Amino acid sequence: MIRDILKPTLIIVAVAFICVMALSQVQKLTAPEIAKRALEKQQQSLDLVLPGFDIGPARTAPVDGRDFTWWEGEKREDGEARKGYAFIVRGAGYGGDIESMVGVDEKGVILGLSIIQQAETPGLGDRCVEVAHRETLFDHIRGGIPNGDLPNEPLTPWFQNQFKGVDAGARISIARRGDWNPEMRESLLALNAVSALTGASITTEAVVRSVERGMALLVKARAAAAGKGAEAKQ
Amino acid sequence: MRYWKELVKGIWSRNPQLVIGLGFCPTLAVSTSLSNALWMTLAVIFVLVGSNLIISSVRKIVPGHLRIPIFITIIASFVTVVDLLLEAYQPEVYRSLGIFIPLIVVNCIILGRAEEFAQKNGVFPSVLDGIGMGIGFGLTLAVLAAIREVLGANRLFGYPLVQGMEPAAVMIMAPGAFFTLAFMLWAMNAINARKKGK
Repeated sequence: MIRDILKPTLIIVAVAFICVMALSQVQKLTAPEIAKRALEKQQQSLDLVLPGFDIGPARTAPVDGRDFTWWEGEKREDGEARKGYAFIVRGAGYGGDIESMVGVDEKGVILGLSIIQQAETPGLGDRCVEVAHRETLFDHIRGGIPNGDLPNEPLTPWFQNQFKGVDAGARISIARRGDWNPEMRESLLALNAVSALTGASITTEAVVRSVERGMALLVKARAAAAGKGAEAKQ
Repeated sequence: MRYWKELVKGIWSRNPQLVIGLGFCPTLAVSTSLSNALWMTLAVIFVLVGSNLIISSVRKIVPGHLRIPIFITIIASFVTVVDLLLEAYQPEVYRSLGIFIPLIVVNCIILGRAEEFAQKNGVFPSVLDGIGMGIGFGLTLAVLAAIREVLGANRLFGYPLVQGMEPAAVMIMAPGAFFTLAFMLWAMNAINARKKGK
């Protein structure tokens, strides 16, 4: 009787033990690489959303009972010092939270947006990080675009690219124009709108609304930090 | 010759999705683009070969009534290894496949092969079975993904095919996957029925 319980228990424990030992080794092996990638990604995102800015260390201030983290950057342009702010926002997408980093100038106009983490449906929502190729597969096989009259744009994901110039302080509307391309920029910016991902309105909505919320939090956080600074001076 | 049979049976005569009818969930979900399909195939082959290898080598010491929890523990370990390796060395792929990598644990092809084959056969045939079944899974997935990506997104491997053509978005969505898979099942059955008739 006791053998009937003890033996299977021991076998299961042994199997679990061996598996866990093996996995902990793999984890030890990959953990530094994963941490490095995360840090690299953060730095890349910062450089992407605040291009050309000198970015200071992360700052934190409590807003509505929670800590809000942001980065401040400075850049000299036309002899003037210009400030930029970057922060991370989260919005509930179709497959968990979508985390993006947003860079804005002093007026709240978006300088850049980069999606750091998402688990949206492949082929639909996850196209929010898709890079737009203008080159067709045949062009690629033949070696580049034939007449080369297309501008040499850097390959950035179009969904994120279109946020540049949008006012994060105002309400951002969502237009249904299909895949964004640089020719659409003017007409969309006039509406303070972005073009939705086809078949993934929840993803689009999540990113857009999280940007608006994040912007409101940034304003509050900066006010709180400024208030604290003033208190400290007194 | 016997071994050769174990290797090739997964590709046509015992194709995991089209003949056995297993693994539809990842097949429907990941077949939105060809590159996703190929990475998914690699991950599944790794897990399938690894779990078949370990399970066939411990098959004599695993008590019958304990086999399911033990097999699942072994499979889950291999899936975690794939998950960590992809996150560390292929972050782009990891990001685009997302939740479907951890979900390989519940891919019925893998537990199905452990139950049906690895626990009854030796190490070498089990490994061959894993490779063959993995390739069969991958071929079905790749054909489905190629059809869906071309028709539904006007792309292949992420590159646009015909400039300015509006793709049929329904193909990239779930109904497109079901329709295409149904046509593939029909084609497979029709060909096999005709073969048998001769």
